[in-house]
Amino acid sequence: MADGHRAAYLAFDRFPSAKGSAVHIRHMAAELFERYGGGLLCVLGGGDLPAYQREHGVEIVRFTEAVPNLLDRAQAFSTWAADRLAAHLDTLEICHVRDPWSALPALTTDARLVYEANGLPSIELPYAWPMAAPSTLAKIREMEEHCLRRAEAVVVPSYQIKNAVTERGVTPDRVHLIPNGADPVAPDVPRPPDAPGRYVVYVGALQPWQGVDVLLRAFARLADLTDLSLVVCSSVTRSRARPLVRLAENLNIPVIWRFQLPHEEVAGWLAHAELSVAPLTATPRNLVQGCSPIKVWESMAAGTAVVASDLPVIREVLGDLGRFVPPGRPAELSRAIRVLLEYPEIGRDLGDRSRQKIIDGYTWKHARSRLSGVYDLVVGH
Amino acid sequence: MTPCAVTTGFFTLGKCGRMAVAGCPACGRAICADHIAEGGQCPECAAARNQLSHPAAVAAQRRRAYRHRSAEQYADTVWYTSFDSYDRAAFDPNAGASQDYLDDGDDALVDS
Ligand SMILES: [Zn+2]
Ligand SMILES: [Zn+2]
Repeated sequence: MADGHRAAYLAFDRFPSAKGSAVHIRHMAAELFERYGGGLLCVLGGGDLPAYQREHGVEIVRFTEAVPNLLDRAQAFSTWAADRLAAHLDTLEICHVRDPWSALPALTTDARLVYEANGLPSIELPYAWPMAAPSTLAKIREMEEHCLRRAEAVVVPSYQIKNAVTERGVTPDRVHLIPNGADPVAPDVPRPPDAPGRYVVYVGALQPWQGVDVLLRAFARLADLTDLSLVVCSSVTRSRARPLVRLAENLNIPVIWRFQLPHEEVAGWLAHAELSVAPLTATPRNLVQGCSPIKVWESMAAGTAVVASDLPVIREVLGDLGRFVPPGRPAELSRAIRVLLEYPEIGRDLGDRSRQKIIDGYTWKHARSRLSGVYDLVVGH
Repeated sequence: MTPCAVTTGFFTLGKCGRMAVAGCPACGRAICADHIAEGGQCPECAAARNQLSHPAAVAAQRRRAYRHRSAEQYADTVWYTSFDSYDRAAFDPNAGASQDYLDDGDDALVDS
């Protein structure tokens, strides 16, 4: 590196990882670094991830300090990131961040801030940290607002989050909708060698608001379909899935669990499934904050029909190309799955049209070019 | 031949694997000619000792040191100091929701 970096991408998120967010980071950061001929990537490390990497023009630095308390850790990350950025103050033109913990250090520079709001900690945190008091969340919300309002552009994956962001005082003309994407799965992607004959697939994390327990209860009502299995490709570890594994055992459901599969293997599981299920629950996390479930995008890209909870965030992605059921209702979910299994030609048609929709406008290439347009606006100012 | 043990790759990580020409004096891992950093160290050890910042960048940092917003001042930013011990206690590891349900790494805030 002959000079300082012109671009930085910061995320309080482990990268790479098996989660959807990692796929997202990869594509967005790649667009940024391609535009600026390299840059600085500040992310979380841990496990076997190296603390430092240099890949052509890109420097990857990972925060590896073990700080048990989440807020302390966020603060330590912010301080650490500010130090990393300090060496590039004279050259830095743009900082792209995914959270307030990353935005604060970015605001210590003169670089223009692009804030990619995939979620809002003031809404999301209480799910993992139920002891957080309303007054604490109010402080986090204030911090969030401070960062969002100072951003030159705020990038959101759904209308839901767009509304949440404008409610925090960002003028609508600075909020840019860039839906998540997925890359179309090759029609000849091999069937996983350990795949059962006929199966329904769930892909994703296992937090309560994902509704996997609802899916298990729905599946218990399909016990008469003896040739049908449920495959859960979880982005989390086996130990984290323990309560759901126990629930499945109690309900006597034939679940095939796959943990932390590499992203490229998930495509095969999706493509050869009878259908994919997105059973998200009607929580504020999904309703107020919004999200853009990568599992739905990837099911579409694999040409696999989706049975999903009828939530605005999912309608936004699937349009009418899915089967919708009221969230949190196992009986209705099982009925929808059964109907789709009985009419495979309907499922095939939905799958084909979904895949075409991806090809026509929602590949990662499309998402990247939308992001590029936002960068054009931001640097053009 | 001893292969270089430096981790490479952006999304899928692997070992460099080129022929190693030295061992890192700090951590002992084998390093190829391309991956030798300052002091004959591997890039990770060199970075840990802050030996990778370019002289120009260091100078820039010094020039800016007087600025109110420098990294040094950063820890005092109003945003984190506004959280008191009561706020923080809710984020202790034992205060989390059923750990079994958390995402891989409880730092994961968003699964979009
Ligand atoms: Zn070393
Ligand atoms: Zn090497």
